[in-house]
Amino acid sequence: MNDDAFLRITDLSVGYGATRVLERLDLAIGKGEFVALLGASGCGKTTLLRAMAGFVTPSAGTVAVDGRDVTLMPPDRRGMALVFQSYALWPHMTVARNIGYGLKLKGLSRAAIDRRVAEIEALLGLEGLGARKPAALSGGQRQRVALGRALAVDPQILLLDEPLSNLDARIRLKVRHEIGALQRRLGITAVIVTHDREEAMAMADRVVIMEAGRIAQQGSPEEVYSRPASSFVAAFMGAENALVLEGRVAGGAVHIAAGRQSSAATLNLDGRLLSSGRLEARFRAEAVEMVVAGAQALKAEGLAIAGRVEAASYLGGGWRHSVRVGDQTLFADAARPFDGGAGVELRIPGDKLFLFNLPASTGASDTTAREAAAELSPAAPRGPVERVLQAS
Amino acid sequence: MPTPALGLLLVLPALAVILLLFVVPLAASVAGAFEVGGGFGFGNFIKTFELYTSDIVFTLMIVSLSTAIIGALALAIGGYLTLGENPRAVALLRWLYRWPMFVPFIVVGQVLRTFLAKNGLMNNVLIGAGLITPMEAASFLDWRGIVIAFVWKQAPFVALLVAGAMASVDRGTLEAARNLGASRLRILLEILVPQVAGTLMVALVLSFVTMMSVLSVPLMINAQSPTMITADIAFRINAYGDYGVANALGVVSLIASAGVAWLYLRHSVKERA
Repeated sequence: MNDDAFLRITDLSVGYGATRVLERLDLAIGKGEFVALLGASGCGKTTLLRAMAGFVTPSAGTVAVDGRDVTLMPPDRRGMALVFQSYALWPHMTVARNIGYGLKLKGLSRAAIDRRVAEIEALLGLEGLGARKPAALSGGQRQRVALGRALAVDPQILLLDEPLSNLDARIRLKVRHEIGALQRRLGITAVIVTHDREEAMAMADRVVIMEAGRIAQQGSPEEVYSRPASSFVAAFMGAENALVLEGRVAGGAVHIAAGRQSSAATLNLDGRLLSSGRLEARFRAEAVEMVVAGAQALKAEGLAIAGRVEAASYLGGGWRHSVRVGDQTLFADAARPFDGGAGVELRIPGDKLFLFNLPASTGASDTTAREAAAELSPAAPRGPVERVLQAS
Repeated sequence: MPTPALGLLLVLPALAVILLLFVVPLAASVAGAFEVGGGFGFGNFIKTFELYTSDIVFTLMIVSLSTAIIGALALAIGGYLTLGENPRAVALLRWLYRWPMFVPFIVVGQVLRTFLAKNGLMNNVLIGAGLITPMEAASFLDWRGIVIAFVWKQAPFVALLVAGAMASVDRGTLEAARNLGASRLRILLEILVPQVAGTLMVALVLSFVTMMSVLSVPLMINAQSPTMITADIAFRINAYGDYGVANALGVVSLIASAGVAWLYLRHSVKERA
């Protein structure tokens, strides 16, 4: 992690009663960086944001801004402004008073407040709405007022708690772009909490994926998308298709044993940290090349899986098929629809197939995956495992 | 049967109850206030204002003062329940503050009679603690006693409604203010209270009307002049069988209550506009 971190979280633990929400978490955010905390509900991302903002007192660890420990400081002394998921606008105040309230608290003169409010209104395209109350605004306008209220006090760090979740889909795309552009223009350090991976990738410089109170992976959007560090991250980033395979690592490549439905394959390791044994393979529906069963053999390196089409639905731009493979259903995209019941082969290029080691013993957490493994390599259910273990 | 007639039939029982138990007695009382001898006139009102102007003013002042104190106390209680940071103190207050609601006015009157009298518990404690000498001990059994009784009994009711409204306020609006540096007092006064103003007004109007109609407290605590309108009404009927002046006093009381309700309605209409 970089040493010139502007916002640094060290060893942070937070618990409500007996439940631990955050577990010894470390995170460093550079000045002017836009970081997205991404995760499913309950993963602790909002708690992390609230701990940064000072609304949650950590049981251990520190939060430091610009080298200054702010762990126990009240929310207003941290130089951070929080935009709430519900916007939390004050319904009894006009837009101008909502935006100007933070400045009033700072004891600025009326004229100075009016000037700054006008500035913010211009910045966010809220001109002419100053005298309205929040109830008379659209969702997108409310969102901008909430943003304006936070920006008016000129915070060093802007914290956004699921700021787009209350907007409808079309406005969300627009506001997503606007917030990203605004952040770059102001050069402000920003942290956004979201459960939407597209939102995170579109807005942030760095995506931090959280799982059960810990950071599962962090990196640029491209990095976490195309090089997920764990099965969880891969699934969260859209690689919902999962298979269990047997693999042997040797000579910079992983040799995948043939199963009942899957072909044998040899894939370049390509920086993957794998050891021989049971592997979980994950891939996206759009990574699949779908061909009629028995078509010409695979040219490039990759995995081929035989299956039978169950159904197809049009997604716009392509067709998504559910394909029966053994007793599992996988999803695969194709430019044209295949008939239901058609035998097909799913081909996944090596660079789009994410492989992870499964625990060697019975530790496979996913029972359906384990059953699928038995189904896919029924010929010698124990034999290859033992062979692989001896080899490694 | 045509639908309108059926609808009317269904409403009839409720309508009859309202008419017989509310509208007719009210109309009879109001009419009775204008009945002088065999005809109608303002005689009862002239007599009422000659005899009881000071009591009317006394009543309005006491009830208004009580309402103001109740409002302040209810906001303080509700505010602490919402913004308090000591969970144990908040839980204790939440458990404690509602008790007076379940005590009838007449019991409140009796309790405060023994507590506030010249040789009552309050003065005994103060003397025992060395805070005042026995010579300085004074009875609170006058207008102050009535105000204390009203506040003690009604503040929990208003606090209950206000605290409920405060609990349903989006906590984000409070945190947003704290995030920008507002103190707890400012959050209470500038963020929380404006958002529950409507509920507070309703609760205070209800409380005002309730206090206007209490007879036991002024009888038990303040058996002297000036006293409250209710005590005068009871006196007119019990001592003289004078329903005319009693009705006129009732109309005065009704007008005062209606005035408060009108203030509230005007406020809520303005709010909606």
